[in-house]
Order: sequence, then structure tokens, then C-alpha cells
Amino acid sequence: MSETPELIRLERHDTTMNLTYADGGEFVISYDDLRHSCPCAKCSPLRNEDESSRSLRRQIESLPAEKPKVRTIGKYALAFDWNKGCSSGIYRFERIWALANNQDPDDGRSYVHGAW
Amino acid sequence: MGPSIQQQKEMESAYANMRRKMAMQELGKKIKHKIMVLSGKGGVGKSTVSTGLALSLAQQGHTVGILDIDITGPNVPKMMGLDGKRLHVEQGRIHPAQGHLGVKVISMAFLLEDEDTPVVWRGPIKLGAIQQFIADVEWGELDYLVIDFPPGTSDEPLTVAQSLPDIDGMVIVTTPQDVALLDSRKSITFSESLKVPVLGVVENMSGYTISGTTNPEVNLEIAGPGGKKHKIASDKDGKFSVTLDIFKQGGGKSTAHEFGVPFLGELPFDPGFVRGGDDGVHRIVSEPDGASAIAFAKVVEAIKSQIGTSQSQGLEII
Repeated sequence: MSETPELIRLERHDTTMNLTYADGGEFVISYDDLRHSCPCAKCSPLRNEDESSRSLRRQIESLPAEKPKVRTIGKYALAFDWNKGCSSGIYRFERIWALANNQDPDDGRSYVHGAW
Repeated sequence: MGPSIQQQKEMESAYANMRRKMAMQELGKKIKHKIMVLSGKGGVGKSTVSTGLALSLAQQGHTVGILDIDITGPNVPKMMGLDGKRLHVEQGRIHPAQGHLGVKVISMAFLLEDEDTPVVWRGPIKLGAIQQFIADVEWGELDYLVIDFPPGTSDEPLTVAQSLPDIDGMVIVTTPQDVALLDSRKSITFSESLKVPVLGVVENMSGYTISGTTNPEVNLEIAGPGGKKHKIASDKDGKFSVTLDIFKQGGGKSTAHEFGVPFLGELPFDPGFVRGGDDGVHRIVSEPDGASAIAFAKVVEAIKSQIGTSQSQGLEII
């Protein structure tokens, strides 16, 4: 994987967030995409199969629109706290960079419990 | 109708969590620098290095604390002359004990009934204790907080790296033999994974210096470990000195070079650390101008220069 530039600014809007990177790159990620790519052990296996992945997406889209609280996890990740739905995922900066660039954050790999 | 008992408990728990998170953020402002001391392998002298770094920093006039995160094998208090001490708790805040040179110490050892009592905890309980040690302790203003870990790359360093804001970096302690170096490589990769900078590698138990007196200006041959011959000459007063490599030589430096991280220096094999650790009078305290104290001061200088270059911009969240 290529080097991920440093994320220097995250601006939350009603349904999307704008990201600014140290190299000047600017990106928008929708909260629905963000939540659908939740890396937690409960959400991740649901993306292994197309049907369960679509079901997860529908479930997320039915949630009320809200701005999340954003927490930094050490220097390597962010966590998003929502009033409804899953808030367990720890999003590594590489994962957010992949999402920002419309890449598959799982890199085509199925989720296996215990593989970190 | 008021909230049920269950609701009250949930509210209290949520409030305690919020207060803890706020305390952790506040800690980031009060403590200028936070240094994690790690090693992949046990027995390489992490606690000796942690206490040595803390005392060396204190010798230079800094206010310093040590957080002993080794929950199941806490031995920093003994090395700091605080054996048998208890922590003072006031208004729900834990006040650290103060060891040599005013270094503040928090350790699980202070909470055990006696030193033979084992701590038999699974991960989540350890995690809770570590978060309490971080957020519920009244450290006051500190220049440096040195965090001493058990060996490995598991729950303890992961929890601290996630909970404590603005960690300056990790110091990886190793000894020169291959097994320790192999595990040190894991620690370096671990730190890359957590985006915590590696401040550098310290090679402990690097060499044992013997010295003596004989006839002036004569050649000597000394047999070292493994039969390795060392040819030296005495000076005009008949004094000689030679450093024997008890294990190997230069492993820490080559590992640091291989991974592109700084090499912070070598610490000598000094039996005085064993005696000092057992007696509770650290070598740096008993012999502040000795060879070990000088070696520690050099490592501290190297760490300080690394901290100066590893400041990141931080993330603005709006």
C-alpha cells in the first residue's frame, strides 16, 4: 500500500465529512459509506457476502441522519460515535484514506475473526 | 416518576466514562512528554532502563513520573526504594508515591496485599486498571512521564497508545543476542502499526568493563566469554581497562539501522544495577557520576533530540 498522507482537517457536515490532507488533497466521504465500511467484528463479516452487505447498507440508510462525535485513537485511527447504530469500529487512517479515494477499504479480503 | 435503579447505574457509568475521557485529555496538557519503554522479550532490563531514564531526566532538573504498567510483575517501586509504600487517595484521585530525586511512581505493586500476591486478571480487567492509572492519577505538571511495560506487544501498550493523547514515542530496549533482537523487530513493527514514533533502540547489557592495575606499559592478553582473546596494554601508571562482550556486540545498532530507526546508545552490563535494584537504591542515585549514569545521560540526550524532531501537526476536527 502506498504511503498515506497525514490527515490534518476533518470537517463534519450533516450527511458527509470533508477531509483535508497534508499534501493538499481534499475529499468527501458520506456517513453512509463510512458506516457501511465499519471495521468492527460485528459489521465486517456482513460485508463478506453480497446479500448481507446490501442488507447492512439498507439498515444504515434507514438510520436517522446525524453528525457523529469524532475521537482520535492514539495516533493511528479515528472512532465515530453515533446516537443510533454501531459505534464500535476503529478506523485506521489508511482505511479512511482508502474510503476517500473510493477504494475498497477491505482490499477485497473477506473478514476472518482474529485477523487484525 | 424518577429514573429506575438500572437507569441510574447507566447514567453514573456514562458520567464516569465521560469524566475519565476528559481527565485523559487534560493529562495530555499537563504532561509535556510521554515516553513508552517497550521490549519484545522479557528480561532485557526494561524496568532498569525505565527507572534509569526517569532518574537521569530528574538529575537534569526535570519533573518526572513513572507509570509501571506491568500489572502482573510490577517491580519499579522496589527499584525506586518504595517497597511496601501505599498510595494516597483523596477525593477519588490517586496521588503517586515519590521515589528518589522526587520521581513520582504509580504501580500495581502499591495495591497488592503483599509481594507474593499474584494478579490473575484477564485482558478487560487489566484494561480497566490501566485506564484508571492513566485518568484517575493526580500527576500534577510533569515534564516527562516514562511508561514501563511488560514484555510483548499486547493489551498493555495497545491500551496506552489508544488512551493517552500525544505520546512522543517508544523506546525499544534490547540485549545484543539474536532472540532479543528478533522480538525487538516485532516491537518496532508494532509501533509503526500504531503510528507511534520509535524514538530509538537502546542496547542494554552491552558489555562488561573490567579494570585493574599491573606493571606500567605492558601488553596483556585477557580471555573473554567464549575464549575470545583481548589484547590490551596498561598505561604508564599500570592501569588497564577492557570491555568484554558478555553476549554479542552491536546487535541493537544493526537492528536500528535495518529498520531505519535511531540508535540511542549502549548501556553497560553493571552488576551494581542488580544490587541497587534489590536494595532500593538505584545505581544512578548511589553513583551519580559513574559509568552507568553517564551512559544513561547520553541515552537521555539522544531521546530528547528525537522528541524535538518528532512533533506532528495534529488533526483539527470541526
